Amino acid sequence: MSKALNVEDLVKRYPTGVEALRGVSLEIAPGELFALLGPNGAGKSTLIHCATGLAQPTSGAIQVFGHDAIRDYSEARQAVGLAPQELNLDWFLTVEETLDYHAGYFGMPKRERRERTKELLETFSLTEKSDERTRTLSGGMKRRLILARAMMHRPRLLILDEPTAGVDVELRLELWHYVQRINQEGTSILLTTHYLEEAEQLCDRIAFINDGQIVGEGTSSELAARYGVDSLEDAYLALVGRKELSRSHAEVTAI
Amino acid sequence: MSPAQIRFATLWRREVNRFMKIKKQTLGAPLLETFLYISVFGAALGSRIKELHGIEYIVFVIPGLIMMALAINSFANNASSILQQKFQGAIQDQLSSPASPLELLLAFTFGGFMRGLIVAGLTFIVASLLVDLPVDHVLVLIPSLFLVGFFFSQLGVLTGVRAEQFDDVAFVQTFVLTPLIFLGGVFYSATLLPEPFETLTHFNPIYYMINLIRYGFVGFSEVSVALSLLALTAATAALFAVNLRLFSKGYKLRA
Repeated sequence: MSKALNVEDLVKRYPTGVEALRGVSLEIAPGELFALLGPNGAGKSTLIHCATGLAQPTSGAIQVFGHDAIRDYSEARQAVGLAPQELNLDWFLTVEETLDYHAGYFGMPKRERRERTKELLETFSLTEKSDERTRTLSGGMKRRLILARAMMHRPRLLILDEPTAGVDVELRLELWHYVQRINQEGTSILLTTHYLEEAEQLCDRIAFINDGQIVGEGTSSELAARYGVDSLEDAYLALVGRKELSRSHAEVTAI
Repeated sequence: MSPAQIRFATLWRREVNRFMKIKKQTLGAPLLETFLYISVFGAALGSRIKELHGIEYIVFVIPGLIMMALAINSFANNASSILQQKFQGAIQDQLSSPASPLELLLAFTFGGFMRGLIVAGLTFIVASLLVDLPVDHVLVLIPSLFLVGFFFSQLGVLTGVRAEQFDDVAFVQTFVLTPLIFLGGVFYSATLLPEPFETLTHFNPIYYMINLIRYGFVGFSEVSVALSLLALTAATAALFAVNLRLFSKGYKLRA
């Protein structure tokens, strides 16, 4: 069976000469919940953008369920749902329109769109806000809507780019539960996060990315054992660096 | 409807929905502006300049005003819509969908095209109520209107994609298009101008567009209708080819 995501020796060099990805390879199995951890600027979002067509790789290959993200972009993108880090909602649309339009962009028929919109509005407690314009929503509501939007077309691979950055404890736990539930229902998930705790609790396997390269990969205990340390945190420290960890750890303990 | 048809219809609907939600600005303001032109040039100037080339002055001016409404609105809609979506990041939702570069380009194009046609159509209706406006060559008028609308829609897309700030759009509209339209003979006949201005007017591409539309309505043109149609078709096709190439390469849309 094809991998949910298969990345081979992926390089992304921007016109400025900056090399955001320097030969990244990784595999995510169908049904897997996979975490990608790394400091800001490590290449996490660039990798995600290459998988979803928002960036074009310089070299290497990237496939989603066997579909090449460049050659068979239509099939590859159909299989992916992206909840980006930025709250990139369309100000002109209402909450309901945001979901309806997204599903339309993915070719979903009207009746199915209507049912799916209703279902996700309820799941994410957005039903009462359905006629409101997206710009009037609170940050937490926008985060929920972005996740609902990514789920609208029933993607087989859901990519969550720092979904819990800046959200309160209640919503964070709610998002965790939802992520676990849809993963149990069969959706493969790629999660990027700064929070080691989040990756450890939710994910089957973890990869560390630093300076455009995968510097470690495995389960939490495998990574700790491989580097002769007691915890994932120590493994991250060994591989990525102390500075970034202290920042993200402070954020976790602050909530 | 097939998934591709649903996709295209939704992409287009999003563009139309945007300008319909801000009708006062996108439809009301241009209509008022055109009405003011008709009032000022018809009532004030028209009482002094009775006729131009045997045509009542206000009737001579109205086809140019219709062309101006079509051009400016087609252009402004697409340039603003694309730039706004780039700023919000909302355009990522369309770009990460399975839509092809051609589908995206045509959907963005037809958004402004629709707005241009609506404003031009309403201008025609209002003008027809105020003066006796003939339609002498409908077979020239209809293709000319479509070509002019499509050309400026394409130009709006190109400007929106290239722009990095609203100033870039304003520059093209205020310092390039508006002077070319005003100096292209909307309000006067180039034959009335002293040299070298009469000759210079022949280097203004909009002069030929105005003459085409004027010929369609009142049966008078200062230039060859067939040559103008041919040149406009070639220019529109060339602009479309440039835009399609930019969309295929993801120029300033995909990293």
